[in-house]
Amino acid sequence: MDPAYLIPTPDTIPAPWGFFEFLLILTFFAHLLFMNAMLGTALIALVREMRTRPDAPPPCRDIAGKLPYIIAFAVNFGVAPLLFLQVLYGHFIYTSSILMGGYWLSIIGLLILAYYSAYLYKMAGGLSATARRLTIGTSLLLLLTIAFFFVNNMTLMLTPQAWDAYFQRAGTTLLNLDDPILIPRYLHFVTASVAVGGLFLAILAYFQEKKSEPGAEKRLHAGLHWFTSATVVQIGIGIIFFFSLPKNVYQLFVGDSLLHTSLFAAALLAVYFTLHYGTRQRVWPTTSALAATVLFMVLMRDLVRQAYLAPYFHPADLRVMPQWSPLFLFLAILVIGVAVVIYMLRRAARVSEEVER
Amino acid sequence: MNYPVWQLDFAGGGLLIALIAILHVYISHFAIGGGLFLVLTEMKGYREGSQPILDYTRKHTRFFLLLTLVLGAMTGVGIWFTISLLAPAATSILIHNFVFAWAIEWVFFLGEIVAILIYYQTFGRMERRNHLIIGWLYFIFAWLSLFAINGIIGFMLTPGKWLRTGNFWDGFFNPSFWPALFFRTFLCLMLAGLYGFLTSTAIKEEAFRLRMVRYCATWLLAPFLLFLASAWWYVQTLPEPQRAWIATFSPELAPFLTVFLWGSPLLFLGGLLMVIRLPQAATRSLAVVLLLLGITYMGAFEYIREGSRRPFTLFGHIYANSILAKDLETVQAQGLLASAKWVNKEITEKNRLLVGRQLFNIMCSPCHSVGGPMRDIKKLSAKYDSVSALEAGISGQGKLNLSMPPFPGSDQERRALAAFIMEELHGSKEQAAEVSLLKLPPLAPLPFNPDQDGYVLLAWNNLGMHSISDADGFFSLMPPANNLFAQLIRRGPTPEVVTEGVVLSYRVEPSFEKPARRVEFWKYLPSLFGLTRPDNTGLSGQSLSGVMQRKKEGKAFVAEKVPVVPYPAQGGYQPYPSFTIEARDMTTNTLLATTRMVAPVATEMGCKICHGGGWRKETAGISATTAQGILTVHDRRSKTNLLAMAKAGKPVLCQGCHPDPMLNAPGKPGLLNLSAAIHGFHANYLSGRGAEACGLCHPSNPQGATRFLRGVHHEVGLDCTNCHGALENHALALLLAEKKAGKAGAIRLMQHLKPSGGATLAEIKPRPPWLQQPDCLTCHANFGPPEADSAFGVWTAGGEDLYRNRQDESGSIHCAACHGSPHAEYPATNPYEKERDNFTPRQYQGNPYPLGANRNCKVCHTVDMDTDLHHPNSLGMMRNTRE
Repeated sequence: MDPAYLIPTPDTIPAPWGFFEFLLILTFFAHLLFMNAMLGTALIALVREMRTRPDAPPPCRDIAGKLPYIIAFAVNFGVAPLLFLQVLYGHFIYTSSILMGGYWLSIIGLLILAYYSAYLYKMAGGLSATARRLTIGTSLLLLLTIAFFFVNNMTLMLTPQAWDAYFQRAGTTLLNLDDPILIPRYLHFVTASVAVGGLFLAILAYFQEKKSEPGAEKRLHAGLHWFTSATVVQIGIGIIFFFSLPKNVYQLFVGDSLLHTSLFAAALLAVYFTLHYGTRQRVWPTTSALAATVLFMVLMRDLVRQAYLAPYFHPADLRVMPQWSPLFLFLAILVIGVAVVIYMLRRAARVSEEVER
Repeated sequence: MNYPVWQLDFAGGGLLIALIAILHVYISHFAIGGGLFLVLTEMKGYREGSQPILDYTRKHTRFFLLLTLVLGAMTGVGIWFTISLLAPAATSILIHNFVFAWAIEWVFFLGEIVAILIYYQTFGRMERRNHLIIGWLYFIFAWLSLFAINGIIGFMLTPGKWLRTGNFWDGFFNPSFWPALFFRTFLCLMLAGLYGFLTSTAIKEEAFRLRMVRYCATWLLAPFLLFLASAWWYVQTLPEPQRAWIATFSPELAPFLTVFLWGSPLLFLGGLLMVIRLPQAATRSLAVVLLLLGITYMGAFEYIREGSRRPFTLFGHIYANSILAKDLETVQAQGLLASAKWVNKEITEKNRLLVGRQLFNIMCSPCHSVGGPMRDIKKLSAKYDSVSALEAGISGQGKLNLSMPPFPGSDQERRALAAFIMEELHGSKEQAAEVSLLKLPPLAPLPFNPDQDGYVLLAWNNLGMHSISDADGFFSLMPPANNLFAQLIRRGPTPEVVTEGVVLSYRVEPSFEKPARRVEFWKYLPSLFGLTRPDNTGLSGQSLSGVMQRKKEGKAFVAEKVPVVPYPAQGGYQPYPSFTIEARDMTTNTLLATTRMVAPVATEMGCKICHGGGWRKETAGISATTAQGILTVHDRRSKTNLLAMAKAGKPVLCQGCHPDPMLNAPGKPGLLNLSAAIHGFHANYLSGRGAEACGLCHPSNPQGATRFLRGVHHEVGLDCTNCHGALENHALALLLAEKKAGKAGAIRLMQHLKPSGGATLAEIKPRPPWLQQPDCLTCHANFGPPEADSAFGVWTAGGEDLYRNRQDESGSIHCAACHGSPHAEYPATNPYEKERDNFTPRQYQGNPYPLGANRNCKVCHTVDMDTDLHHPNSLGMMRNTRE
């Protein structure tokens, strides 16, 4: 069956597509940082727990205290890009989600368990090493599974030619296991998470160091070590990932298209700077370079998606039926909301300072 | 239509949405009311200078955080995941129309998370005023989330002006927005109290525990009246279809309405009980019970709200099966397979069950599970006895049963769907087996000597088939009551119809003498007809043998309402019992003439095909299950309580309410006459099936146990529709007459009926039942050979012109006396014994043809005649001769 025939008819959108594209990229960027920090710190925490002697004090109080909150924000910042993705690519993402229905919906249950397990880990500080390993291990395993399902869906939505499997496997749900991109892409994200998780710990340590907390410097170095090591590994995985892409897609980034190629070059440059500053233990320049890298990667990821779907669809094809007033209201509420959030965070920050005083 | 289907079967029919949504709303409403509870309780602690209250608030915050931020928030995302998996088309509409409302809600959600985490983390460490501000900000963000979501949820039920304008604000501030917002806000406050019980009953110190439990009880009880008032307001703002749906306690919503109605006082009483000083164990248990009661209560409300949208997902815009209301006609015109993606494109003998499954997935699975708890299709379709019966059921959806969308596919697609459900899910095959009939010996011949005998005795039944309902314990549609007619002719060159000085008697064949042993008619006679009769005596006082009465008009004798039933003493079903008719001289008692006739009577009403149950007696009869099924539908549709009455031993006669000229029943004013009601209702399910439709209910099924079409018309290949029209046309003629009489029910039943056979509605002539019927002379113009093969639409002027009442032009002889009973016109072929219906002509003429056929005038006149005295063309030769 011609895959183009299976693609559902999309609905109209209430503002030009570029607007949603901008919001999609912006919120996904934030989501990615939280998500990477969440997965990376969980992984690093487990490694640390496993390396620590059972009778030693808990090695990860810093991570344990923060992980549930990072999960909260990773989810919250995941909702927004998923919303904007549905606006632009709903007819693809709904279809691929349905095809992997059971796996996709299980994410909710897995996430709840991972979340509660993270809270248990937070509270398990005073408990045995086994309890700590078990709780963080459970969280990590569940989060890795969720990540795997996400990568399945994000690739399946791009490959309508694989959707035909629905007719061969009627009544059951499927994963996108035959796609050669699946494993490299998954490893790419997990490795990135380890890097970002390490950097996140380095940033935490940076603040602790400022307060002259004992061992902060060591933790900062350890965090950056995780970051740089993972980034070096990532170079290898990244190459494999890149060349697992369909030829017509990756060639866009190595000369076929100026925009794509420039973006790729910029991203590689940013990666260079992350390593440059990371190996020199400079937290903020590393963080800035990483933010730039992530942003370029998010943009590239979007161009890859468009290249995949080019034979079938481009968001510019969507019919626009503009309704401006809700859009303006959203922008106004976003500004007010962010202002209130900043106000609250500042109040909270002051409390820590007050307590410390 | 547009999307593939996640085939869930057991968990299908929206079970996942129901489970996750109920859990989510129960927590998320608490997340709002509980937020206010936190900040107000903290203020109370400061006001009263009570550290225990502050400690309690802090502990409650932890419980609150763990419950709302994890389970509450994640199940919220879960609903979104679930609806996009199970109703992607509708979800897409919600997303694309309200993307900015969702986006705004996301900002509020972010604010909530930040606020509650700070509130919890800084409890007791932040400066009081600032901490309270954070608490208030949490509540405001949480309530604003409700504000945003409430607009979208309300939109699905009452889209209001949006349907016309497509405007965001029209959809958001829809007709039920404000009452729903108040309703939910009060509910939030009450839930804060309910959840508060969980933590407050855990307080160890007794006096303080009682104080805090009472405080929580205030949260539950204080908003109660306002909550109920807003619920009432909510219902009042619903547009008519949804309100009617709720108000009439539609059967599926009824249990949920009951839960909601009982839940209110129970929750209130529970709240009051908590105020009393009780042992801690008791209050702890009660707190859990009340929390569970609360989720049941709320679940019932949400179910009613969801149910009220039926058959739509977005009321008036997109059906539950994802077809846009505006596209329905297009889909109907081009068919489902042509309109849908993700399905096979054609139906073949090999793939029909597979395609049936695909059609089930896209059309049915949004609401129906397979063997699961949500509207289980296996349970709902179990009553249908065949693929074609279920097809009929599907045909009627969305016409009279408004809780379902109309089936938008072709006949072939409908058949594939029905075949999948019946053959694959039920494992049953189409019922094709032909009923084997009892083998009857020929009726014992009676002598007639044309040279010596002085009389000819003609006897007939005035209905070709008397169909009776033998479910007397439940209802009666038609009592056992055959009318036997006879005319005695004194032979001679100028024959005479004898009406004086003779006694005509009748006697059923022996095995049919005791009908009271076979049916419960006599037991329920007082309830059905308001009178009593001795067993085996009919409504007019006639028994199974007796004397015939001279009819007031005309020259026939009649035994009226003889209660013969088709069940012989030896068992089985035999719908053609014979009677022996004798004529004797009144004074000398000399036997002048004897003949035999058949009194056809059938109980083969096919109700069970769709209403469940089997035959009462192997091949015919209405079983108790079938009768109950019928009354259940009637009670549900017409708000009657007939089943309860029947169970209490008070079954009713259908004509007790529905007028019917056949029984001279005036019925209740405004109600449709029985024929119009029954044909009109069922035509919505059985249109487009020609004569097959008739045989599903009437005993004309050529494979059934009666096969009552046995006259010459049947033999030459005509069927019911040649005279009576197809069911839809037949029904429309009856309904049009009722519509003219100003009966609203007719308009409702006619709404979806379309005339068939190229006729237009304007061409269909209204008629009352029984009194106006097809006229023989429409085809047999001037009594000649037929000039057409359709008598539909030209009705007899009145009852006297009906074939069964009509007399010849001399005014002496009934048409049926010479031509046979209706539907058994000579030469007839009886399926039980070929010549059974032809007894009289064979006795007097030695052939099965009408009396006097082939110029055999001598049978009465004793000499040849050359005038067509009885009717024009009566001297013609028989056309349909037998070998």
